[in-house]
Parts: sequence; structure tokens; C-alpha cells
Amino acid sequence: METSIQKVRNIGISAHIDSGKTTLTERFLYFTKKIHRIHEVKGKDGVGATMDSMELEKERGITIASAATYCQWKNYEINIIDTPGHVDFTIEVERALRVLDGAILVLCSVGGVQSQSITVDQQMKRYNVPCIAFINKCDRNGANPFRVIEQLKEKLNHNAVAIQIPIGLEADLEGVIDLISMKAVYFDGAFGETIRIEDIPDALIDTAKSKREELVDAASVFSDELTDAVLEESEISEKLLVSAIRQGTLQRGLTPVVMGSAYKNKGIQLVLDAANLYLPSPLDVKNEALDIDKNEEPVTLTGNKNDPLVALTFKLEDGQFGQLTYIRVYQGVIQKGESYVNVRTGKKVKIGRIVLMHADQMEDVDKIEAGYIGALFGVDCVSGDTFTSPDFKVSMTSMFVPEPVISLAVKAKDIKSESNMAKALNRFSKEDPTFRTFVSKETNETIISGMGELHLEVYIERMRREYKVELIAGEPSVAYRETITQSTPFNYIHKKQTGGSGQYGRVAGFMEPIDEDDFIFENKVTGGSIPTQFISACEKGFLSCLDKGPWMKYPVTGIKIVINDGASHSVDSSEMAFQAAARGAFQQAYFKAQPVLHEPVMKVVIETPDEFQGNVMGSLNQRRGMIIGSQDEGNMTSIEAQVPLAEMFGYSTVLRSMTQGKAQFTMEFSTYKQVPKSVLEEIEKKNDKKTKTG
Amino acid sequence: MLKNQLILKDPLNSLGFGTEETEKAGNFGAVASRAGVGKTAFLVQIAISSLLKNKNVLHISIKDPVEKVNLWYKEMFFNLTQPSRTKQDKELWESLLTRRFIMTFETENFDLSKLTSRIDGLKTQNIFSPQLIIIDGLSSEEPIASDLIRLKEYATRNNFIIWFSVRTHRHQTADPVTIIQQLGGNDNSDLFNMVIQLLPEKEMIQVKRLSLIQDTANHPSLLLDPSTMMLKEDAVN
Repeated sequence: METSIQKVRNIGISAHIDSGKTTLTERFLYFTKKIHRIHEVKGKDGVGATMDSMELEKERGITIASAATYCQWKNYEINIIDTPGHVDFTIEVERALRVLDGAILVLCSVGGVQSQSITVDQQMKRYNVPCIAFINKCDRNGANPFRVIEQLKEKLNHNAVAIQIPIGLEADLEGVIDLISMKAVYFDGAFGETIRIEDIPDALIDTAKSKREELVDAASVFSDELTDAVLEESEISEKLLVSAIRQGTLQRGLTPVVMGSAYKNKGIQLVLDAANLYLPSPLDVKNEALDIDKNEEPVTLTGNKNDPLVALTFKLEDGQFGQLTYIRVYQGVIQKGESYVNVRTGKKVKIGRIVLMHADQMEDVDKIEAGYIGALFGVDCVSGDTFTSPDFKVSMTSMFVPEPVISLAVKAKDIKSESNMAKALNRFSKEDPTFRTFVSKETNETIISGMGELHLEVYIERMRREYKVELIAGEPSVAYRETITQSTPFNYIHKKQTGGSGQYGRVAGFMEPIDEDDFIFENKVTGGSIPTQFISACEKGFLSCLDKGPWMKYPVTGIKIVINDGASHSVDSSEMAFQAAARGAFQQAYFKAQPVLHEPVMKVVIETPDEFQGNVMGSLNQRRGMIIGSQDEGNMTSIEAQVPLAEMFGYSTVLRSMTQGKAQFTMEFSTYKQVPKSVLEEIEKKNDKKTKTG
Repeated sequence: MLKNQLILKDPLNSLGFGTEETEKAGNFGAVASRAGVGKTAFLVQIAISSLLKNKNVLHISIKDPVEKVNLWYKEMFFNLTQPSRTKQDKELWESLLTRRFIMTFETENFDLSKLTSRIDGLKTQNIFSPQLIIIDGLSSEEPIASDLIRLKEYATRNNFIIWFSVRTHRHQTADPVTIIQQLGGNDNSDLFNMVIQLLPEKEMIQVKRLSLIQDTANHPSLLLDPSTMMLKEDAVN
């Protein structure tokens, strides 16, 4: 790690599932001498590509969780963050995109811009990630990289411009012409490892000249010097052209396009060259943290290694030596043997072992400097934690963690699965703060809860695949809440004097709805009508009623209890008696306080091609959605709506079929709103049915 | 009760506009001022008044994203219900949202034919049927006369009123009425039925109703407080 920070690249490889991104990554590692053999993704040799370290990924040939791997190419240090291609894994996607500075968008030369390419491109756009495009599979029948470039322009609104053209296509693919050096490049040897540079074949000279002209034209927008050179018709140096393309790429105003075939080892080294030349270094990217002491106000990080440390943990893995924590350092240096603060817990953490990761293999180092990615051993933390130098209290992620809005019961089929499930749940809840798990006191079932249906489905699938858990998952249930709407008095006497020691307690006061808190208890008792030692018993009694409301059996929130009078008995009053009195008072007043049911409402944002926007809006309307608005973005429209979570079950399938898989949606918790009367009746019926069937 | 109190704060009413002007299908209104004086804030107040009267409002913005437009409404509404933000205020706000639809366009992607096809789509699918449309951010420098004439016909047919923001520039020496009338082309100077001008004046912004015809009536003008962009209740001239 002695390279200057300008020569560091933290990049992601984003693509449609079958575009070959894992093969490309594998080839990168081969050419950067990080691996010495090449495996295929679907593992005919039973090994599987090196980046797909999770079993599920190996089997499906897709990438779900992001792994980071380190390699070097021509004195540049490249950290490859394997980003999920699926929009459903929001936390994974957000963390991966947070950590990378630039990306390679991999496209299939036959399939072109497919729905998933649109999805990943939108993610990059959202996070303002500069990218280059690699058109893969130019050796396949029907390959047409220029059609893909047109699609990049039309479907994704990229100012895409070829910096290479192919020499031959399909089975005749021999190499590429580099439009910057105007040379033909061939890839010889068993794995294309020997690069042979020749003059451009005569048959391709005219095409190469005209494509170079297009390239110069597009790049000149980003460089006055290049524009002058074009106008003066003077010679355009490679350096000048590269610098203009780089400027355009960093501003996301230009997408340089390279091409080849990862499977046939053609063009891979030039993709690495392009990543070095055009993608940003950590210094080219502005990173912000949140100042914890100033209400999470954004603070721009310097990226300077001499400043206090700010580092983000973005992935945890179980390894043979314990928990492995992937980390990106944004500012300062993280050093072996030093102590830092975990901002979330406020606890000091001593750093034992630091490594650079290459999928499942590692290299020990003493420190990681600003801009670099590495991994730590033996550090107790969760994914998304920020480590800082003591007294520098900033966080890379908001400390606000939303409450889960959906839950379901999971049951292991056998004892072995049970113990594996416990391990898995422990790991997942550490990785993802929005994923929670607990055992229900009543049913003794293990409940998992999270932020949406897909969110839970992914974890169930991971339990099955990674942890070999055989399990039965219940129906998802929405986290409804009860609350009251009217201020109502209570005055309840709990009296029991039949045999044994008696019980006596009277509690009087009122309950009222509140907005700002879940529960407030206020003691306004004067003159000792309830002795001080029993006040906390009263509070406990009321609190015990909140877990399960008397009406629909959902948790009660937004309630204030004020006690202002009562009575006690010198012998028969006890803590137990006052708890019972409080419970009785609650029951007495609750129904008079006109309880209502609240349901979680989600903010749903759908990005859809224009032609489907009417249907998409219609589908939201059918789901009791309130459309806030639509935003026209060229060929795409983004629709924002508020939709009850209960109506969103199975929506991803509906949306996919309605839009030929071209639309995507994100969903996050927005607020709790009162359930309309018609829907309430449905819920009541369902609950009755459940109670009857036991 | 709260709703009725808020309806009384209707800015168009305070400016002396009658229902013949504010409710006749196909009527056009314009709020004109230089950049940054408060056109959007004033249009949002007109929209909120309509929402309070149970009318459906479609807000089209050709500059701001949905979230920002939504924020304008929220801020103006809660400024209107000041000083406290009670549960009743929040409930009223929630109920108004169901009658409002925001549609935003990037400047380069906007044209009036696209807009009418979008509105048709919303109506046909029973998603939203506007009664008042706000068009904020339409460029007044391009020749759009024929489009506006078609839009007026469309508004008449579909039973809604449209309010526009019209940005005037320092280099334009003509008065706002002339500028606005020019939007309709030489033969269509009667395209607009209501014109309001916002003029910065010392520490306030003057809201002036401008006459489109030889109108001798003495219309009141109002003042906006630049810190909240709300009408000052005690400052009707």
C-alpha cells in the first residue's frame, strides 16, 4: 500500500445478472496475478468464481452480498466491490454504493441494455457514481456493440462513446482497436495474457477514423484545450484526449465504452487500463459524514491521512479466525494496535489484525490509510458502524434506525437446523440493523421482522442456503398499532378479600392521546392517596397493558396516562394490588377512549419507462395508495406514492409483469396512519378467524 | 371550523376577484414577477385555497422535483395555520393531500401536448381529475401562443382553470400585462383572465391585481411578508 492516493480505485462492477460480471471480476484477478487459475461462474469444475464467496451465489451464478477484493494493475491499487445486481437488497446496495467511487457497467453485446442494467444504472445515478461501460460477450452470435452504445444513449440517457472498436465480431473476434492510440490490440496466449500491438488493419481504418472523430467531438465538450486543438486542426495528443475523457467521466457527462469478451479473455487488460485512466480516485469524490453533536449536520471529510480517523464498516463475514469486518477508511489512518471509538456504541475498540482481502484469501498489513479498503479481525461491531479517533464524533450513516414494519414466524424443522438458525439470525441482525429477531412469549415461536416482504425473503433464503437451515416460514404480518383518540377518565378499585391476604388499591385519573411519544406516565397524586411506594407499581400495571391492546391485541402506542387520585389500605394494599388496579383502570377507560388501529404506510418510489406509468399509477390506486406526484425524467417517469404496507405484499411480481420487468421500486417506512373502516372490518374478520382456528 | 377560517384567507378573494373569474372553466390566471420574488409561494397559496374548497389541484412544476414542491405546500399550509401545529391541523393537511397531485418535468422534456396526454391518462384511469392546474416554471421567452390557445380550449372542455407563473426580466420594459398578453400572440390578447404582479417594496412584497381591460374599479392590493411569503392580514391597501 505504498501507492499515492491518486492511484487508488475503489470500484464496483454492476450489471444485469447474466452479463458476465463475475467472469469479468475473475479475469481481473487473474490478470492482476491474484489468482492463478480461472474458474467458471457456474462451476463445472465445482469451485466457482473466486468473488462469489457465498454458497447461494455460487449455485445461482449471481451475486447477492458484496465482497471486496484488492488487486494491483500497472501501479494502481484497485479495490473491487462486488455490488448486488438486485435492487431488493437495499441495505447491501446502499452500503456498496456508499463505499465505491466509480463503477464498471457491464453489458451484454447481444442482450444490450436489459431491465436489470436499467436498475443498476439508476442506482449509480442516484448515488452520482461515475462509470465506464464494458460491452461483454462480443464473441457471441448476434453481438453488436454499436447497437448497445445506441441503447446506452437512448434507454439510459448516457452520453456513451466508444473508445475502442472490435476487430471482428462473434466467432471472428480477434481483438480491439484502441481509438486513443489508434492501434490494433490483440490478446495472444492460452488466456489472452500476451498483448500484441499492431497497426490498424486496412479494412478498419476508415471506421476507426470516423469513430475517433466521434470520440474527440464528445470529449472536447469537457476540455477547452482539446476544443482549441480541434479548431486549430493541430495534433491531438493521447494525454490530452485521455484527460478530456476523464473530466467528462468524473462529471458523469460522458461514459467511455470499452468492449471484448471476458470468457474468451479478449480486452480485459484494457478494461483495467480504462478503470485506472477514467474512474475517480478517492480524492476526486466528496465524502460527507454526519456530526452527531450537531443534529447529524453533514461534515465534508478531508480524505487526508493526517486528520482524525473516520472509517465505515460495510460488511461482516464469518471466517475461520472469527468475525471479519470489511472497512473503508475515509479520513486518517487505522492502525494495528491502536484504539478507536465505535460511534454507535461509544465504546473503544482496539484493532488487532488488519488484512487486505482477496475474496477468501488475505494479506496481513499494519495499517489502512484514507481512501483504502481492508478488513479487520476480532472487532465487535455491526455492519454500518463508524470508527473514529476519540473526540471526533461523526458517523458515516444516520444513527436513526427505523422500527421494523413487518414480521413473520420461522420454525426450524430439526435440532441441527435450530442451532444453525440461531447462528444465522445472530449474524444477520449484526449485519443489518433493520433486521430484528426475538422469541414470542406467547407462542414461543421465533419471529423475524424487517422493513418489507422481500427483505425477509432474502434472509430466509440465505438461512436455507448458507446455513443449511430447513425451516418453515409463516405468513408475514403487518405491525399494526392501536391508539386512542379521546381523553377519558378512569376510577377503578381492585378489591379481593376472599380468603388469605386481601388485595386493595384504587387508581383514578385519565388517559389521553399523544403524538410525540409512545407512552407517557404522569403522577399528579397529592396528599398521599396512593402511597409513593406504589406509584411505580401503577406505572408497571399500565405498561403491561400496552404490549397487547384490549381491542385488537396489537401494541398500544401514543397514550398518556395521568393518575391524580386513589386509595390504599394499610394492610391489604401491595405492589401487586396496585398493578392489578392499574390494569383494571386501563381496561375500564380504553374502549371509552375510542381506540383506532394504525397501520404502517410506506413511501414507495417507482421508476418506470414512460409507456407504463398509467398502469403503474393505476396499480397504486388499487392498493389504497396516495400518489404524491410523478417526475418526468426523459424516457423514465418516477412516481412517488404513500401506500399501506399491507397492500404491498407481492407487489414486485405484479410490477414486473406489468412493465415487462423494466420498472423498479424502492420502499421505505414513512409513517403510521389510521386504518380506514372498511379495511378494519377485514382485519377484524381475519383476526377472529385466526382466534377460532387457534 | 379550522377549514372555514382558512378559506377566509383566500388570496384571490382578498384581491377582489369574483367567482366569474376564479371558477369559470378555461380561465387563465398569471402571477408575474422577477425571479425570486415569490411566484411559487403565491401560486401554492392559491392552490391551498382551492384544496380547502374541496377542489382537486394538479401542480405542474417545470423546475423543482416532487419533494421540493411538496415541501412548499407543507410549509405554506402550516404557516397559514400558525401558531400551533395541532392534531386538527395535521389531519386537515393529510386530507388535503388526497386532492393534490404533483407532476414535474425537466425543462427540456416539457411540452404542452405531453402534458395534456398525461392529464387524459389520469382522468381515463380515474386516478385524478383536476379542477385547478398550476403551471410553475413555464418559459415565457419561447413562442408558445398556439400551444396556449389549444390549452385554453382543452381547459374549457375539461372544466378546469389554469394559473401560470410568468417570470419577467429586467430588460423587459413593457408592463407585465403587455408581456402576458403577448404570450397569447397578437390576436389573442384576451387569453388571460386574471393577472397578479408581485413587486418587492422596501421590506415587503406588494401583491397587485392588474387590469386587463379598461377597468376603473379600485382593486385592493396586498402585502406579502418575505420571511414567510404569507399574506399580511392587516395590510390590505
